[in-house]
Amino acid sequence: MDKIAITGLGIVSPSGIDKRQFWANIKAGRSFIKEITRFDASKYPAHIAGQIDELNKYSNISERLLKKIDAFSHMALIASELALKDAGIDIKNEDPNLVGIFLGNAIGGWLYAETELRDLYLEGREGVSPYMASAWFPAAPQGQVSIYYGIKGFSKTVVADRASSLMALGYARKVLNKNKLNLILSGGMEAPVTPYALLCCNTYGSLSKNNAHPQNAYRPFDKRRDGCVIGEGAGIVVLEGVARVNKRGAKPLAYISGYAATCDGADRINCSSDGKELARAIKLALSDARANIDEIDYISLDGLATDLWDDSEVKAIKSVFGARAREIPVSCPKSMFGNLLGASGAVDMITTILAMEHSLAPATLNLDEPAAAGLNYITKEAKEYKINKALVISRGRGGINSVLLVEKGEK
Amino acid sequence: METKQKIKEVLVNLLKVKPEELKDSVALQESIGVDSTEMVESVIALEKAFGVKLSPKEITKSSSIDEIEKIIQAKLAK
Repeated sequence: MDKIAITGLGIVSPSGIDKRQFWANIKAGRSFIKEITRFDASKYPAHIAGQIDELNKYSNISERLLKKIDAFSHMALIASELALKDAGIDIKNEDPNLVGIFLGNAIGGWLYAETELRDLYLEGREGVSPYMASAWFPAAPQGQVSIYYGIKGFSKTVVADRASSLMALGYARKVLNKNKLNLILSGGMEAPVTPYALLCCNTYGSLSKNNAHPQNAYRPFDKRRDGCVIGEGAGIVVLEGVARVNKRGAKPLAYISGYAATCDGADRINCSSDGKELARAIKLALSDARANIDEIDYISLDGLATDLWDDSEVKAIKSVFGARAREIPVSCPKSMFGNLLGASGAVDMITTILAMEHSLAPATLNLDEPAAAGLNYITKEAKEYKINKALVISRGRGGINSVLLVEKGEK
Repeated sequence: METKQKIKEVLVNLLKVKPEELKDSVALQESIGVDSTEMVESVIALEKAFGVKLSPKEITKSSSIDEIEKIIQAKLAK
């Protein structure tokens, strides 16, 4: 399969909205994990998160539209706008039939849903907004982005837990390779900082309960890890075929040159402890990109910060890379702003592209003492590395393993 | 409050449109590009505001403010 060009990045995250602000904070290793302030979450076992408080400041979306959509659609609209602007594309000049949208989301838009369902029980059927039906479901952002820009090409939303958005990017690449579309907006969005969504995440059992020290709570691969911290946001990129990018005289920021996904098929919730299927996904992604292990300069880790998930990830990397595993810089920069669940893979890919552009491998926060030695963990602060090819690992509940290979562009 | 003024206020607050966008004799679809879901919401809001029963068949996207006023006034007079 041919490689696909990434020409624009759109990021909406607790660490910043727009890539410049985001990268400045990632580079500096600043944590944006705080106590949840949106509602009283103090009774939840885990009540810290990466939140975005001033979404309205960054948006041209009318109040008329905002009352019909959930925050996750709002985030997707802002991220799409930023990505298109970054790519220098005015969608009005595109054939709408040849533009697609491929997004990933894990849980849907619960702030809207919870409020309306409460009103259903308090006021009866007339208390519910008629927009409820179209606001909460995982494909709602795809629909809203499509309506906002008049996009009419083949589009999909992928729901695969935390692997959703990386899987959407892999799918989008496949579709662009068939030459049926000119460009695709692809990535993901998640807004889990709501009373019910937070409850679900708490029940899942992989959240850190270190509420007393929010900035030290999310510690992937560290001996004292006790789970991840959730965050909200969106990461959306513009994907185009290389020939089209050359024709319009644009410079790709990066290329997606390989992708693969496998499933552990072992448990309803957990992954396999052996990491074998993740290792297979890494090998398949390398082979899809016709790349060998010596060419990989950086690995963006999934890092759920639990013993089972982290240790199996390390095992998989060691089994594929052998002695090389000690050399390749690896990190989990989402430890700074939280795990964006269904949006995490796309955001990790964006971070990796920025890392390539600046020749700087970002740090994993709070990784003081690795639980499993043998990898070149980047800790405490970002380190200089030339990165031409990198892997992004994104995994989901029940053992979904998705791996994407991204290459540096010319910009 | 005058019925027409109250109808406009309900719609402006509900749909977040500008008061000057609503034209007395122009269908809602034409003046503010109202969609079917917004109509469902509008009918319910007008029912609540005036304490009358309204059917989505009586008030539609093609209704103007003047026509809505007539229907509501007729119901209020009963």
